[in-house]
Amino acid sequence: MLTALARKLGGMLTVMFLVATMVFFLTRLAPGDPAALMLGDQASEADIAQLRRTYGLDQPVVVQYGLWLKEVLSGNLGQSIFLQRPVLTAIAERAEPTFFLALFSILIASLIGIPAGIVSAVWRGGRSDQAVSAGAMLAASIPSFWLGLLFIQFFSVRLGWFPVAGYGDPGAGLGQRLYHLILPATVLGIVNSALITRFTRASMLDVLSEDYVRTARAKGLSEARIVLRHALGNALVPIITVVGLTAALLVGGAIITETVFGLPGIGNLVVSAVLRRDYPVIQGALIVIAGIYVIINFAIDVIYSLVDPRVKT
Amino acid sequence: MTGTTFPHSHPKAKGWSRRDLARMLGAAGALSVLPFGGRALAQGAASANLAMIGEPQTLDPMASTADLPSLIMMHVYESLYTFDADLNARPMLAVDMPKIGNNGLSYEIEIRKGVKLHSGRDLDIEDVIASLKRWFEMTPRGKSINANVEKMEARGSHGLVISLKAPVPAFATHMALPSGYAAIMAKESIATPLVSFVGTGPYKFQERKPDQFVILTKFDGYSARSEAPSGYAGKREAKIAELRFIPVPNANTRVEGVVAGQYHFADQLPVESFKRISSTPSVKPNLVMPYGFPYFVLNTKQGPFADKKVRQAYQLALSNSEMLLAAFGDDKFFKATAAHFPKASPFHSTAGEKVYDKADVAAAKKLLAEAKYDGAPIRILNSKQYEFHHRMALVMAENLKAAGFKVQLDVVDWATLVQRRADPAVYDVYITHSGFFPEPMLSPPQLGSGAPGWWDSPAKTAALAAFNAESDPAKRGALWGKVQEVVYDEVPYIRAGEFAALSASSAKMTGFVPMPMPAFWNVGL
Repeated sequence: MLTALARKLGGMLTVMFLVATMVFFLTRLAPGDPAALMLGDQASEADIAQLRRTYGLDQPVVVQYGLWLKEVLSGNLGQSIFLQRPVLTAIAERAEPTFFLALFSILIASLIGIPAGIVSAVWRGGRSDQAVSAGAMLAASIPSFWLGLLFIQFFSVRLGWFPVAGYGDPGAGLGQRLYHLILPATVLGIVNSALITRFTRASMLDVLSEDYVRTARAKGLSEARIVLRHALGNALVPIITVVGLTAALLVGGAIITETVFGLPGIGNLVVSAVLRRDYPVIQGALIVIAGIYVIINFAIDVIYSLVDPRVKT
Repeated sequence: MTGTTFPHSHPKAKGWSRRDLARMLGAAGALSVLPFGGRALAQGAASANLAMIGEPQTLDPMASTADLPSLIMMHVYESLYTFDADLNARPMLAVDMPKIGNNGLSYEIEIRKGVKLHSGRDLDIEDVIASLKRWFEMTPRGKSINANVEKMEARGSHGLVISLKAPVPAFATHMALPSGYAAIMAKESIATPLVSFVGTGPYKFQERKPDQFVILTKFDGYSARSEAPSGYAGKREAKIAELRFIPVPNANTRVEGVVAGQYHFADQLPVESFKRISSTPSVKPNLVMPYGFPYFVLNTKQGPFADKKVRQAYQLALSNSEMLLAAFGDDKFFKATAAHFPKASPFHSTAGEKVYDKADVAAAKKLLAEAKYDGAPIRILNSKQYEFHHRMALVMAENLKAAGFKVQLDVVDWATLVQRRADPAVYDVYITHSGFFPEPMLSPPQLGSGAPGWWDSPAKTAALAAFNAESDPAKRGALWGKVQEVVYDEVPYIRAGEFAALSASSAKMTGFVPMPMPAFWNVGL
């Protein structure tokens, strides 16, 4: 067990190193100069060159990479060129809304997707199945920005139930901040429920045709008990995978939804950084996101082994 | 039996009751509803929520020439001079306009007495000198002036003399401009980067939470001027206790937010939202015209546009009004005009009318034939990040094709465009825009030297030398006409026309005057 864990940890560190290296060189390959962007039209070439020197952007790329890697290994993700603050601070300031948005979205998506997938599988070919499949298709096809604007229009502008955007007034308590996440989390939950529904349906259909399900029915167990205890338990592994990966993607920042609802999250931070070529923020944020992704994948593996003892960590 | 039998269930199996299903769905529904109710955001009159286009990259008004830091911080920091409603420079912290002597080489400035800083002490001339020094050293405009500054000396506790090596025309105008501006700060707060923001404005800095808000609160010790308000000049009064500048990058969200009443003001709205805003009783649309101008910079250094005749053919081929219509959709939001300055400005000139907005295919073809244009494609560098740039590029391409040009549209993101425009080998013309400034030398940068496009000619040097050597405003107006004539003759850039800015404010908001940079002093709720 310990050897397996150590092997996994080694794999994770290798992935992180490769991600860091790729992110660094890909950002440098993209055209664009943060110094020219920051100083604007009025700046002279000398001003731009000076700013490039200040941030070490005049050094050869390999030298920049070496210096950056050294800092990263010592836990310093660098200083944002535009925000004029440490990258870790910038990420930490935006982590809360992204974390809660991801959490609520995945909860809503699971609460819609798993029951809908079960209903669809159990009543396969019936009207419920057709309705769920159509619903899932619709949810998968709807662009989240469009659904977001529609929700804003109806629930915020027309009914006045929710705020249009933002993350609470200055000094707002956690309750008010979370209240601002209801609409965006619902939008993301609906959109992401489609995949969970389809995976749940497929997985349940596989399991429902197994011999042990037939045996359970022959023994006279209630259908609810068969479906929820025996079938669902065995269908969980692929469902956990899709829920976990969706959660990982959401923690990385639901960029479009954050923008539409004006949420100060990590997705917004990354998009702004890309548009401004704020290299330290792009690199730092992507490393953190990749780290979260890797950790969630690791957690999924651990959960597998708990759900299905045949799976070894 | 009340249960429903599932199609795949064994005939003998017990059915899954509707109650089971209802329980499961009910639990899902209940968990979807978070325990936070109430109506969205009840707003008090004590604070104004102001939706801005994004997060300011800095709150130091000298660290960037971007509008947003200045828009926010002009409520905190004041300058010696500012603009009135007719875009004339007027005194703000200075008592009066500067006394100019020694043939434009000496500026005597006196500041108002009894002006309180946010720290509570009185502003003195040492604060002004320290602030101006920082402006001279940090900002592009300050640096260009600093090259001509010989010395800066205090004269008593409230006087200042700036001696110049060569005249700096419109010096006061430069100090009045609100972007990258000559903000006057408490000398002890000056640092790079700034960590405390101590000015003299009607609002003082309270708090910044990145991507969430910047809060300014009323400064009770504010020392207002006595003149009637006009533009940014005259009496300023903080009528709202707290201003909250909120970054809302999505334009549609800004529209819906102001319509729903969550925001009291929403800046920079898409022109398509004008109808929706106008038809909402609780919101007022605001138009600022002219707000800015799109312009096309030609690469005069190499490629087809190194030839003046090809540039003139390009100018004659264009339909500026068609491009502006494609960009802004309705003539409420743009004006096709050859004049670079409006009629009220001393710089208004009609020079160039005979070649502007002609779409004269025959004349363009004739010039191309004379120039022996070899059919090299004209590479139009443009960015979709500013949708109106790209829409203009599409019309421009069709105009040029009709006149016999070959065209290549190079569409990139803005960061790439900013980098590529510095390389004469990779484009022939790029599309950009500028805010409207009351002083010609402030924009576009092609009027200076070394800017992309690399315009340099004896006619340019002569016209600008005469213009820049003159400090009499009336004479400068006439001399600008000569510069404009050279611009239309040599075609280093084409000013497409003017466009308006659309913003919206709550109908409850009183005293708001639409200006290029919205100001919220003298505004009530």
